[in-house]
Amino acid sequence: MMHLDHLPNQRENEHVVLFMRRHWFAVFTIIASFLLLTIVPLGLGWYFWGMVSAWLQGPVSGPLLVIAGSLYFLSIWLFAFIEFTDFYLDTWIVTNERIINTEQEGLFNRTASELDLASVQDTTAEIRGILQTVFTYGQVYVQTAGEKGRFHFKNIDNPEHVKEIVTKLVEEDKQRVSALGAGK
Amino acid sequence: MFDFSTMSIPVSVFLTVFGAYMLFYIFYGLFNVYHLIKYGIFGIGLYILVTIFTGGTILLISGSTFMLMEYDWSHPISAEGAAQYYNEDLFPNL
Repeated sequence: MMHLDHLPNQRENEHVVLFMRRHWFAVFTIIASFLLLTIVPLGLGWYFWGMVSAWLQGPVSGPLLVIAGSLYFLSIWLFAFIEFTDFYLDTWIVTNERIINTEQEGLFNRTASELDLASVQDTTAEIRGILQTVFTYGQVYVQTAGEKGRFHFKNIDNPEHVKEIVTKLVEEDKQRVSALGAGK
Repeated sequence: MFDFSTMSIPVSVFLTVFGAYMLFYIFYGLFNVYHLIKYGIFGIGLYILVTIFTGGTILLISGSTFMLMEYDWSHPISAEGAAQYYNEDLFPNL
């Protein structure tokens, strides 16, 4: 379990400035899909209740229907939570010294990486399409000098504001690093 | 000679499918909770999330078990009976 006041390899005087997950619209999509997949079969069952209750009373069709229904509802419950876990564990932490990027892909793939703010060369905010414009979410790309290149904050809230903060922190960190270099 | 119409298997064969799925569900469900606890950010939200998932799972499994307990699992499924179920049970209004 990660504590925001005790980051992995936390440095002296390092503190969290931004903690980000994807925009709430990602959670809305998961919840809406879950509700749709739950309500539609329940509604059909209610509408055709005469036929469904006859099937439920059958010595073979009854168990078969209950088992099929159980498998279906357990599957969508599990699927919704796996999707939510994917959302919940994708985090971007910006401190006054570095950026920590953690991404969960499904249940079995996980990527954790970090970069020093002093190595950032360029930051880009991007909002595309109607939904992103209306709900003010989008992408932020953080470009570094290294080969790997780019950190991507996916579908975060208010990307332009985040870009401004990161740019300001990068400037401050570069000044701090040069002051440390000059002091040697 | 083998007579297909007299061959029968108990309804409980469906339970093996349900049992196999439950093993899969428990494996994935526990792995999901493990991920949340190991990599999640410490806070009340994390505990609420794990409780909702576990509570929902318990409700769904108990509901299923409760409904499944009402059936006679020794009832045979026969090829001969299948035609009868089709006519009488599957579409009772016909």
